[in-house]
Amino acid sequence: MSEGNGKADKERRKIKSADAMRDMMVKYYTEAKGAEGTDRHIAWITSGAPVEPLIAFNVIPVYPENHGAMCGASHMNVELCEVAEGRGFSRDLCSYARGDIGSAITKGGPIGGLPRPTFLVVCNNICNTVFKWYEELARFFDVPLFIYDTPFVRGDLQQHIADYSLRQMEEYVAFLEKITGKPYDEPHFTDVAAKSLFASALWKDVLACNKHKPAPMTCFDAFIMMAPIVTLRGTQEVVDFYQGLLDEMKQRIKEGIGILPSEKYRLLWDNIPVWYEMRNLGKLFMELETCLVADTYTSAWTFEGVDAEKPLESMSRIYTEVYLNINLERMADKIESLATRYSVDGMIMHSNRSCKPYSLGQYDLAKEFTRRTGKPALIIEADHTDSRWYDRAQVETRIRDFVENLLGETVPA
Amino acid sequence: MDVQAIIDECMQLWRDPYPHLAKLRDEGEKPMAVFCSYTPEEILHAAGFTPVRLMGSVRTLTHADAHLQAYCCSLARTDLDMALAGDLDFLEGAVFVQTCDTMMRLSDIWRRNTDFPFHGDLVLPIRMGEEVSLPFLVEEVHRFRRSVEEFTGEEIGDGALVESIHIYNRNRRLADRLYKLRTTYPGVIDGLSATAVITAGFWMRREKHNEMLQELLEGLDTGKSRGNGKTPLLVSGSTCTTPDIIELIAELGADVVDDDLCSGHRYFDNYVDEADSSQEALARRMWGRINCPAKHQCIEDRIEHLLRQVRDSGAKGVVFFLQSFCEPHLFDVPYLRERLQDELEVPSLVLETELQSFSRGQLRTRLQAFIETITGV
Ligand code: SF4
Ligand code: SF4
Repeated sequence: MSEGNGKADKERRKIKSADAMRDMMVKYYTEAKGAEGTDRHIAWITSGAPVEPLIAFNVIPVYPENHGAMCGASHMNVELCEVAEGRGFSRDLCSYARGDIGSAITKGGPIGGLPRPTFLVVCNNICNTVFKWYEELARFFDVPLFIYDTPFVRGDLQQHIADYSLRQMEEYVAFLEKITGKPYDEPHFTDVAAKSLFASALWKDVLACNKHKPAPMTCFDAFIMMAPIVTLRGTQEVVDFYQGLLDEMKQRIKEGIGILPSEKYRLLWDNIPVWYEMRNLGKLFMELETCLVADTYTSAWTFEGVDAEKPLESMSRIYTEVYLNINLERMADKIESLATRYSVDGMIMHSNRSCKPYSLGQYDLAKEFTRRTGKPALIIEADHTDSRWYDRAQVETRIRDFVENLLGETVPA
Repeated sequence: MDVQAIIDECMQLWRDPYPHLAKLRDEGEKPMAVFCSYTPEEILHAAGFTPVRLMGSVRTLTHADAHLQAYCCSLARTDLDMALAGDLDFLEGAVFVQTCDTMMRLSDIWRRNTDFPFHGDLVLPIRMGEEVSLPFLVEEVHRFRRSVEEFTGEEIGDGALVESIHIYNRNRRLADRLYKLRTTYPGVIDGLSATAVITAGFWMRREKHNEMLQELLEGLDTGKSRGNGKTPLLVSGSTCTTPDIIELIAELGADVVDDDLCSGHRYFDNYVDEADSSQEALARRMWGRINCPAKHQCIEDRIEHLLRQVRDSGAKGVVFFLQSFCEPHLFDVPYLRERLQDELEVPSLVLETELQSFSRGQLRTRLQAFIETITGV
């Protein structure tokens, strides 16, 4: 293939919706930052928390975790973590939390920090770290904190957990009424919830396109493309964006455009991305003709089983049963189902040093995965945004060895 | 038993409770492991079990590494290691209470890789002390009771439960008296001995511990109170697996006058209301007791409580004794330290440990320097 052809091929394989997404996120952050100091409410919120009520109350939601991913990807999170460490926060705490606390203090990071919140919303369905982190933010900013407490679910969701979740959903709405001074508008809320669900269904369809061989995108692309579904679901803009993305993916499938120049192996990824290493890992996998076709992370925002008649109730159930809030057996079911649906050859698990709920249990899950699917699993050590713990040479060697052994044949080095 | 004999026995248990625990079965007891101070032990007790607390052990890991990463706290790792190595075969089972993310995952890992007859789970709300969570907690306690009953095949009679609650409440009252004595009659019993007697209670039937505490309290001569002239310190953190840290403090001429430990003061705080229905009352106690850092009451609860304790006990310094990688505790440390300094001018020291690489020498050096800054020596 000539140089020119290579370029054209690269252009052909590029996901065009990425630009629209970037524009939308820039607009979102500009608007959010512009709202600082005005009478518009700004809430910092965790990635797993119900955002729909905020959208319905015209509050701007801001996601420190999404910001953390940005800081990580732009190699700026370590210096922010160091600020928090200088204040006495242990180096072993979640690096999103450390970086965020550091950025709150210094306004550091690629976009000059996040706009000051007028209140905070935390939901422990992803981990219990977040409420400790948000308690600290509440002290730092001296603003109200709403805790949406989602008890851990073993087996099926039990009624008393569902009841507790619903009571808090109602309380959350009352909290917002009080803070914004506006009454709850059920039809409006239902509309927002419907859009959120619609967007999430589209997102699910987008991810499902990767069942196709060759896969039209990798999960690294999905990690980037999920920003709107995490931050802004519930708005029409997001619905439109995912509709566009879905159309593009379908078109790619039709034209047989894969994301990699050649796809020989398909793998499943577990855990949060290694944000500061995305580019290098992306290159490595391309070279190894290996496509990461699915992951346990981005699918966390695909909601199922919603009853539009009872928006609060179904929302409260959905938010309680997210991937990280269920027992290992249920997680194994999920992994197994991804593996089958996306026809993977194996799994790579990122053992993420400062994220315990996602990482503890991986050794058992890896074994269970192999037992159920007969496919191998590799565990690599890293941290989602603290690169000081990362040993690139070692990780790359392990990935190479793993892929080489996948079909018992050697791939070009 | 005289006072010294009681203290000696407790110290010995604390040094290494496991040989003693292994013998409980021969004595007709049914030991059930608990990890967390939120466990409603009364239910287990009423069902005929002896709740025994697992607080890790100083050991080299042989099995747990295959299941838990190195960045997991050493309480979880060494407890699991003992179970997998077969060192805990005397147990009927274990009860996991959801506090931190580590315990939440440990429960599943434990259940999948061991085969004790019983495995209990109790999921707690993080929002304690707020009306919204109480019905949920009451139901969890109820479910837990049912799961124990299913296992034994027998109902736990209300009478038996009331009786167990009574025994545990008495234990809390006695423990509280012992702790208060240290402030009202300084020097009557030193911190190391008092903590040893409380800690040892985790490894025997509460009735026996009550007798022991009663005898001890009767045997202590409050007439002999005359400050001991030692630097008063408060220890805050999760658990003290071994006596070392408090022993070191004593050796270095200081004395622990009160604590904010999960294996100490936080364990026996608050009573179960005996006038209320048992389940409701058990739930209410957990819900209203001093918060563990893995729970939330309000932003200020922990610091207010700690400031009060420091003021009341006259502590001149606070030692935070923590497990490495323990998120709930480590998150609270910066603000607790800052407020202690700003509001009471009380300095503090943070000591992190890992049981599989426990170093008494290192702890000693850091403690010595800290105590010297307080005493100005
Ligand atoms: S501990 Fe893990 S799940 Fe929790 S905020 Fe950090 S990265 Fe996210
Ligand atoms: S020491 Fe900390 S991390 Fe470990 S079990 Fe206790 S609360 Fe959890």
